[in-house]
Amino acid sequence: MAKDEGAVVETSFWRKFGRYSMLGFILLWCLFPFVWLIDTSLKLGDRALNSPSLTQGPFGLQNYISVFDQGFGYNLRNSAIVAGTTTIVCITVGSLAAYAIARLPLRGKVVILSAILAVALFPSVALVPPLYELWRNLGLLNTYPGLYIPYTAFTLPLTIFILTTFYASIPKDLEEAARVDGATAFQAFYKVVLPLAAPGVFAAAIIVFVYAWNEFLLASTFAPRDLVAQTVPVAIAAFTGSVEFQRPIGTITAACVIVTIPMIIMTLILQRRIVAGLTAGAVKG
Amino acid sequence: MSATTVAGRAPAVKKQRGLSDTGLARLFLSPSVLVMALVAAFPIIYAFVLSLYLYQGRLREGFGGLENYTEALTEPRFWDAVKATFIFTITSVSGEFAIGLGFALIMRQAFHGRGITRASILVPWVIPTVIAAQLWYFMFSVTPGFVNHILGLDRFNWLGEPGWAMFSIVFADVWKTAPFVALLLLAGLQTIPDELYESARVDGATTWQRFRFITMPLLKPAILVALLFRTVDALRVFDLPQVMTGGANNTESLSMLVQRFVVVTLDPGFGSALSTLTFILVLMIGVLFVRALGRDFVVGTGGE
Repeated sequence: MAKDEGAVVETSFWRKFGRYSMLGFILLWCLFPFVWLIDTSLKLGDRALNSPSLTQGPFGLQNYISVFDQGFGYNLRNSAIVAGTTTIVCITVGSLAAYAIARLPLRGKVVILSAILAVALFPSVALVPPLYELWRNLGLLNTYPGLYIPYTAFTLPLTIFILTTFYASIPKDLEEAARVDGATAFQAFYKVVLPLAAPGVFAAAIIVFVYAWNEFLLASTFAPRDLVAQTVPVAIAAFTGSVEFQRPIGTITAACVIVTIPMIIMTLILQRRIVAGLTAGAVKG
Repeated sequence: MSATTVAGRAPAVKKQRGLSDTGLARLFLSPSVLVMALVAAFPIIYAFVLSLYLYQGRLREGFGGLENYTEALTEPRFWDAVKATFIFTITSVSGEFAIGLGFALIMRQAFHGRGITRASILVPWVIPTVIAAQLWYFMFSVTPGFVNHILGLDRFNWLGEPGWAMFSIVFADVWKTAPFVALLLLAGLQTIPDELYESARVDGATTWQRFRFITMPLLKPAILVALLFRTVDALRVFDLPQVMTGGANNTESLSMLVQRFVVVTLDPGFGSALSTLTFILVLMIGVLFVRALGRDFVVGTGGE
């Protein structure tokens, strides 16, 4: 009897141990490279930067100062403007469309949704040659609109999918009650549905912002060098340039940390909403 | 219906009551349709038109018909890029799927620590791909050589060897996106009712049987959606090889090839032919997936 109990305790201990070590592995997988990045960005001098050891000093903030000496502040500004504009335009335009699809009578919904899905599956490289020609003729190379216009088009499908799911989950009775009380369809949308959908709108906004903030292919083609419009990812990739065989590891890792920390903090604070948004856009039973 | 075909004109008639519902629907939908038509659909047509002309540098030399296409299809570099893109897609998507499913199953089991794990899983997702690329470039490079240090290798040049360069890029992609796949699959797992597992356990089903006959079939829609988005995304890979190898050692993807003919080689005709071919290829694979998912997927995504 006592032996049996002991065995039970033992297996459940090992079970627990196994579970926690697997969770630990996931945490390590997700977080360790970032810890390495911070560690490296604080190292100074060739000896420390070329050593695989995490504790090889000296440490200091010199790398962070030299990042801003190279005009990284402009890149941050450009990325903030481009990603911010994309988010505002995309959410405004997309929430109207999503409401129409979720709630209003519309013929050919399947055709509309298929077309939106086709844009979602679109390889953005297909736009590179034609838009480059168009932007060159319209003078949109190295400008903000040259970036946020295509970003809006590419993030609209996901925005519409996410928001349609959120709108569809709001009880219809509320709107109908408003309509019975004499509200127009637009008033029902604006005063009843939109406030209730705020968490969904928020989730979609973050996902759009992250896409626009991280985009590299179009940014490096349409605004490659000029600090007037060059965004953060392009700048981080371009730190490569100076000497072909020696990337400035200290500067690059410092720039990476500067960009990543605010995004990680934002993600951790808003994680529930982001997860809800990501899964609403992609998982349907 | 015909009275409200032009949405903008309807209010004049029904000013007091606002637009009809159908009119409002069209009005709401039109900005989105307009943006997507102008920025996504129109350029595709324009690219096809450009691809029919021959250029010498930036100067148009004349109409060439399908000449750019025959040139592209007989160009070994194009087929190398197709091969590299497919190798990348198949290996990275299978790696992400296997690891993502593992993570999702672990997280479903866990009661303590689920919150912090789910939060940390978003960290690789939110890190810009360019940053992930630089990070893993340094991890795999000879100095500081962190990967070599961990594996006890001396000065192995991961990014300088043909097969291993691709391996490093695939590894970086799996690191970044497996957690995202886990998130999607976890959401799918959470829709499976616990009672199913309990009654199966009562009936004496083993862990494997429960996985095989309950989890897999019920998770199938979530799996297919995750695979669709990951595959299409992997086919347009650009950031990782561009930053990690610059396309050396057979890692030049289709997106890199197209971009090069626009920015470096400056041939709008040939570049457009390549981009049109890429577009057709990716769209065909997307259509195959959507076929497999069925019509319900498209309608289902729309909520109702």
